Amino acid sequence: MNAQTPVLEAQAIAVTFGGLKAVDGISFTLTAGEIVGLIGPNGAGKTTLFNSLVGLQRLTSGQVLLGGERVSGLKPHRVAGKGMTKTFQNAALFPDMSVLENVLTAALLRHDLASARMKAGAVLHRLGLGAIAQTDVADLTFPQKALVEMARALATEPKVLLLDEVMAALTPSEMDEVMAVIRSLRDEGLTFLVVEHHMRAIMALCDRLLVVNFGRLIAQGTPAEVANDPVVIEAYLGQGAAHGATTDAATGGTNAAGGAHA
Amino acid sequence: MRAKLTPGLVLLLLFFAAAALLPFYVDPRGHVLRIAAMALLFAAMSQSWNIVGGLANQVSLGHAAFFGIGAYTSSLLYLRLGISPWLGLVAGAALAGVAAALLSLPTFRLKGHYFALATLAFAEVMRVIANSWASLTGGPVGLSIPFVGSQPLNFAFRAVSSYYWIILGLLALVCLVFGLLARGAIGYRLRAVRENEAAAEVAGVDTFRVKLTASVISAALTAVCGSVFAQFTFFFDPDSIFSLAGVSVRMAMIAIVGGLGTLGGPIIGALFLIPLEETANAFLSSKAAGLSQLVFGVILIAAILIQPRGIMAYWPKRWSRRAPRPPAPPPVAPQAEPALAKGGQ
Repeated sequence: MNAQTPVLEAQAIAVTFGGLKAVDGISFTLTAGEIVGLIGPNGAGKTTLFNSLVGLQRLTSGQVLLGGERVSGLKPHRVAGKGMTKTFQNAALFPDMSVLENVLTAALLRHDLASARMKAGAVLHRLGLGAIAQTDVADLTFPQKALVEMARALATEPKVLLLDEVMAALTPSEMDEVMAVIRSLRDEGLTFLVVEHHMRAIMALCDRLLVVNFGRLIAQGTPAEVANDPVVIEAYLGQGAAHGATTDAATGGTNAAGGAHA
Repeated sequence: MRAKLTPGLVLLLLFFAAAALLPFYVDPRGHVLRIAAMALLFAAMSQSWNIVGGLANQVSLGHAAFFGIGAYTSSLLYLRLGISPWLGLVAGAALAGVAAALLSLPTFRLKGHYFALATLAFAEVMRVIANSWASLTGGPVGLSIPFVGSQPLNFAFRAVSSYYWIILGLLALVCLVFGLLARGAIGYRLRAVRENEAAAEVAGVDTFRVKLTASVISAALTAVCGSVFAQFTFFFDPDSIFSLAGVSVRMAMIAIVGGLGTLGGPIIGALFLIPLEETANAFLSSKAAGLSQLVFGVILIAAILIQPRGIMAYWPKRWSRRAPRPPAPPPVAPQAEPALAKGGQ
């Protein structure tokens, strides 16, 4: 697969709840090895879009192609089998299991029990979680939960990984660690679509941004282009905050408050 | 799969050894052995139920349906066609497995109470059919297994102890199946389904298939218990074999009081509840009508209030089996030493 092949293609996908168009005809493509950010105000439809990509949410119309193959309409475990999965915003771990067991369960998608255990151990080490493999997930801190969530998704060995706010509540140094991991996975060919409220993280990490509001794709481009797009500033940051946040975002400055309310 | 000798396994083996010796120490034709056999049979039934109700937390209140399918299949094949109940038992298990698979199609979309109600309704439908289709089932008068003396090939014995040992073997079989499922890949998947179905799907678990497999196995084992029950008691009727309170709820209750989803739970629950119920009956039923049920009910409520997670919650956690630590692979990515694993522990 060369660098220009779209690994994920969303074609005019729409999700309607009753009269509400949560996702309203969004089209985009991801190229293999890209890290793409999905941003937009709360309620813009980001999580619904994620759910519809992985098969948790049925599409009202449109289709999703993964590596050229149609995956919309498949159940989530089939989509995971084809190579796309997501993390959950509020760390939907299996609470009565240890960290290792959580990750091992996902590794069973492509391995028998013995090699799933090895795979799970390797993924945990990769994310620096080896020391807490035997811990009950109930005893984890929130940042740890988010990382275990990511480890569980990685254990399915995806081609495309959708990350839903894994960096919320991380300290800046922890965030740098996670971003380093994401970049190194990308260097191995993994493709990411990332929802994150932390401007600093999004700007530093992503090659490209998609901006949604009211279920529509309102802009896309490099972080710098998007940060200076007046439509985006108006929709995403609001009029009052527009000026300060733009310069902050464009320069990649630390916006600690941005994460705190996310 | 290698079995490590954990305290739990040692205790389980001791229990089976002690249970196997019981007939030598009590009156082999007496009441005590009958109650013990019934307690073991209910432990086996509850363990079968526990595969779906405990591991996947799909609380069925209709397992009497499978119990009755087992009892009717083996008994009718024996009475009408002279087929040995040993073969009938296999046929009953197969039929119950098919019934469970068919029932799964409409009910697996249902959660919690709705699933429980749907399964309950299924058992009620079976009870009505058994009562009404008299030409096949004999109707409300039920079926009697004639006493033919000792015919081991026809599952007929003189001594209660023979039935007792067969039931003990059945319990061992069901516990083995439960243990293998719980510790195998399907056990992890079932627990994932129990704890977060959407997350399980996204993590690649085929939740429908996993629940279906567990349901079919659970139903088949329950049906075997039904066939054995019919041979042991020589008589049953639609209202007793498809009973909501007497079979379906009791199976669930034993597992819940003992400890849902645990291997020891149904055994401890049955050994606690069945003798308790019998004792309450023996001492109180002559005093006032319904008094024994009242006392039994109060004790049940107290048990659930005192420890909602069941008697097995008192099991020392460090004795539990955990997935062993994975071998440490060499560090892969040249990263800064991660602080997260240490942070906040």
